[in-house]
Amino acid sequence: MAENKVKVSVKNLTKSFGDLLVLDDISFDVQEGEFLCIVGPTGCGKTTFLNSLCRLYDIDAGSITLQGEEIDPKKHDIAYIFQEYSTMEWLTVEDNIRYGLKIKHFPKDVADERVQKVMKIVGLTDYAKYYPSQLSASMLQRVVIARAFAVEPDLLLMDEPYGQLDLQLKYHLEDELISLWKNTGTTVIFITHNIEEAVYLSDRILVLTNKPTKVKENIINDLPRPRKVSDPEFVALRNRVTDLIKWW
Amino acid sequence: MKNLSKRLGTLALSLLGIGAVIIIWALAVRYTRIGLLLPSPWEVVKRFAYVCSHTIGKKYTVFGHLLISLKRVLIGFAAASVAGIILGISMGRFKMIEAIFRPIFEIVRPIPSVAWIPLAIVWFGIGENAKFYIIFMAGFVNITVNTFAGAKQVDENVLGAAYMLGASKLQAFFRVVIPSCVPYIFAGMQVGLSTCWMAVLAAEMVSSTAGIGWTITSGQENGDMVQIFVGIIAIAVVGLLMAVLMRWLEKVLCQWRERGS
Repeated sequence: MAENKVKVSVKNLTKSFGDLLVLDDISFDVQEGEFLCIVGPTGCGKTTFLNSLCRLYDIDAGSITLQGEEIDPKKHDIAYIFQEYSTMEWLTVEDNIRYGLKIKHFPKDVADERVQKVMKIVGLTDYAKYYPSQLSASMLQRVVIARAFAVEPDLLLMDEPYGQLDLQLKYHLEDELISLWKNTGTTVIFITHNIEEAVYLSDRILVLTNKPTKVKENIINDLPRPRKVSDPEFVALRNRVTDLIKWW
Repeated sequence: MKNLSKRLGTLALSLLGIGAVIIIWALAVRYTRIGLLLPSPWEVVKRFAYVCSHTIGKKYTVFGHLLISLKRVLIGFAAASVAGIILGISMGRFKMIEAIFRPIFEIVRPIPSVAWIPLAIVWFGIGENAKFYIIFMAGFVNITVNTFAGAKQVDENVLGAAYMLGASKLQAFFRVVIPSCVPYIFAGMQVGLSTCWMAVLAAEMVSSTAGIGWTITSGQENGDMVQIFVGIIAIAVVGLLMAVLMRWLEKVLCQWRERGS
């Protein structure tokens, strides 16, 4: 996190579904270039939180601003990576990654350069002409991640993107993600139920409560990178976060 | 190489099956009383060769009749495709259009295309328009049903990702919804084309003076069993060719569905 400038500001965010109050008056800021992980008990409304944040859901009260303006996916460059693979089956790997750049009418030379760059970082250069049906699960998620980073978004939202992958692949993709994040300086909000993942990736961890969801604690994670999961400080932080989300 | 030999093996078995049917047919005609009801395969082949250069009826060879029927099918099928794709996608993506049109469509859907023949004759007379209408109804239902299913199954995550990447509703429609529906549209068009082909024969058998369906009716009226068989075989061959053509088109346009190594 190089700068100390507020990128996203969430004030008094409240969201209900009928009588069920899911998000209850949540406020926090995200700094520019920060990697923020959000953790919380199962079913606490983490995905609702992210969907509200990018306005896929209408919110009941509060405000969300990006660079001082009310957040709007049409106006701002926001990318969202879902838990399920969202590759476009009819496009090759290269065209999938190029999709956002095409939509935003980037000049061809800029688009080509960006596509090649992110494909190289996520190790998909040799698979540029493959279709998603020809790829493995981890490769599919790498395509989605590369597509999101290619547009160099103002804000990248990730909703448990590695939830369906096995451990080994997950570790590998986490390192790729860190590498992409460092290369592009993108601001990332990453939702996970995996505390070790949150400690491994984040600059800061936001711990949510059970429904109605509030921010329970805001933990700065300044462990040096690259991080080791066996490092005593790493383990201590992981245990601290684990204790915080215990609802029993 | 392994794939090629596997495909050749399948082809050989298919040809063996067809050959076996022809042999059984020939033997049955030669040695049983079935010969009173069926012409032999050889007679059918001979007549087929003959009607390739000589007319059936006053004007057309077998190819002329086939072309007339094909023209009718293509016009009806094209209209059914356009209408079916538009209605299917509209119902699948827009709740209001679904609410208005789906009940009407569900009423029309189970009606067999031949049931429209009397109405079509009353509405359009015995000319070409009645045939186009019957063919249209036969294809329209299948194409609409499949396209509707495709439009309903568009992956909302992919749509959401497109919106998040900045796509407008129109861009998302043309760059996500339509490509997602293409395999379903093709499935509907394949079934639709074969039902259109069946419908043209039914329409021609009722009121026509030319077309492959008419050759069968004419054979029946004249007690010419061989001509009936020539018509049936011509229908089967053209139907098969159309199915192969559609499958090839699907392979070309939906190559992304082919699983690679």
